[in-house]
Amino acid sequence: MKEWDGFSADAHRYLDGEPFEELSGAELAAADRLTAEVRDYAARLAPLDPSLDVEVMAAVLRRAPARRPGVLAWLLAPRTVRFRPVWVPVLAAAAALVLLVAPRGKRPAGPEVAAAPARTADTVFVRFELEAPQARTVSVAGSFNGWRVGALTMVRDARGMWSATAPLPLGEHRYEFVIDGTRWVPDPTAHAEVDDGFGGRNSVIVVGPKGLVRS
Amino acid sequence: MNLLRRTVVAALFLAVPVVLAAQDAGVDGRLQTRGLPASLAHRVAVVAAAAAARGVPDGPLADKAIEGWAKQVPPDRIVVAVQRFADQMVRARDAVLTAGIATPQGPVIAAAAEAMRSGMRAEQVRRVVQAAGAGVIAAPGLSVAAALSAQGLGSDQATRIVVGAMQSHRSMQELLDMPSVARVWHDQGMSPGDIEHRMLDGGWNGGGNQGSGRTGDWGDRPPTVAPGTHDHDGHSHYR
Repeated sequence: MKEWDGFSADAHRYLDGEPFEELSGAELAAADRLTAEVRDYAARLAPLDPSLDVEVMAAVLRRAPARRPGVLAWLLAPRTVRFRPVWVPVLAAAAALVLLVAPRGKRPAGPEVAAAPARTADTVFVRFELEAPQARTVSVAGSFNGWRVGALTMVRDARGMWSATAPLPLGEHRYEFVIDGTRWVPDPTAHAEVDDGFGGRNSVIVVGPKGLVRS
Repeated sequence: MNLLRRTVVAALFLAVPVVLAAQDAGVDGRLQTRGLPASLAHRVAVVAAAAAARGVPDGPLADKAIEGWAKQVPPDRIVVAVQRFADQMVRARDAVLTAGIATPQGPVIAAAAEAMRSGMRAEQVRRVVQAAGAGVIAAPGLSVAAALSAQGLGSDQATRIVVGAMQSHRSMQELLDMPSVARVWHDQGMSPGDIEHRMLDGGWNGGGNQGSGRTGDWGDRPPTVAPGTHDHDGHSHYR
């Protein structure tokens, strides 16, 4: 049995530094003796590192759960998902159904979308040339570069001959030269010329494995 | 709450294919991505959708609109040109169907349309596609026939050459070399009849033995000009 087991409530309040009403002399002496022993024990403890408080608070903050509101917190928090395997084929079937019925611009099944026929993985370097001494810029725009003006710019030599070399996939391509960014000119050395549908003429080349043969 | 969470999980799972499908934004989105105004893109998309409903690919129609926009063609004329091209592809599809191809692929239809626009008749398209069978050589075959025809051989001769090459089991590479070879022979003074005869006899060193070499017989330099034909007089001239 400890000495303070028989302490009254007033003796506990005295020890806690709180107001008390009545205390016997024996209890007061015992309480004072305990207080002195505690102070003596505390005085013999090694002093604490001043940085301990900082480290402890930092650890507490690290472990503090992030406060995010509702569903967002649930979506962002990592968690283990438990599910019944029977749902896998069900959800997969649902996903396939969504894919099948998803709107696709009213395009029916059947022909696949492809702009350039006869293309293979093989490419051949094709050199384009145009004599245009008065031109400030010349580029090649065609089906092989999405008709982007300036995508394939040509370089001028001292004689006014513009040239550019580009790797083209095997197959048929349509193109024109673009002079000074606005003037579209067909290539008279191309394999053929065809109506472009806008009142102009597109040059046609068919690139084989040996490259384009010019006349 | 558990029900709500399960619902959210299922919705996310189902959203994946929906998002993937949405990425296939179709003609409208593609045209607007290329800078065409929304009003023009919508009009072209309507034409493309109607054409697609008739079984032709919409990709070449979008390409045609992009080409017109790049050439600064007025929007109304672009729509007219796209509509005309769509009509040509419908006729081309009909021609391909007569060859016994139940579900013709988009590239074949597009190549047939371009060939017919170059002067080939539906019957000639049918013969080329029929000779190609179900192979992928149909589209390049049509393109080569159209190119030969445009070089002055005539659509009948061009069709016979391409069909003959297919029936002789020429490779696609050999087929693709034909316009270049025909051009060289033409410039050497050979008549269209002689060109046809020599082509049908296989009397040229086609590319069949070249494999997938990027530069054919000409080493590492770009094979842009065949040996012996490089002549500055042959360059394009613009003044």
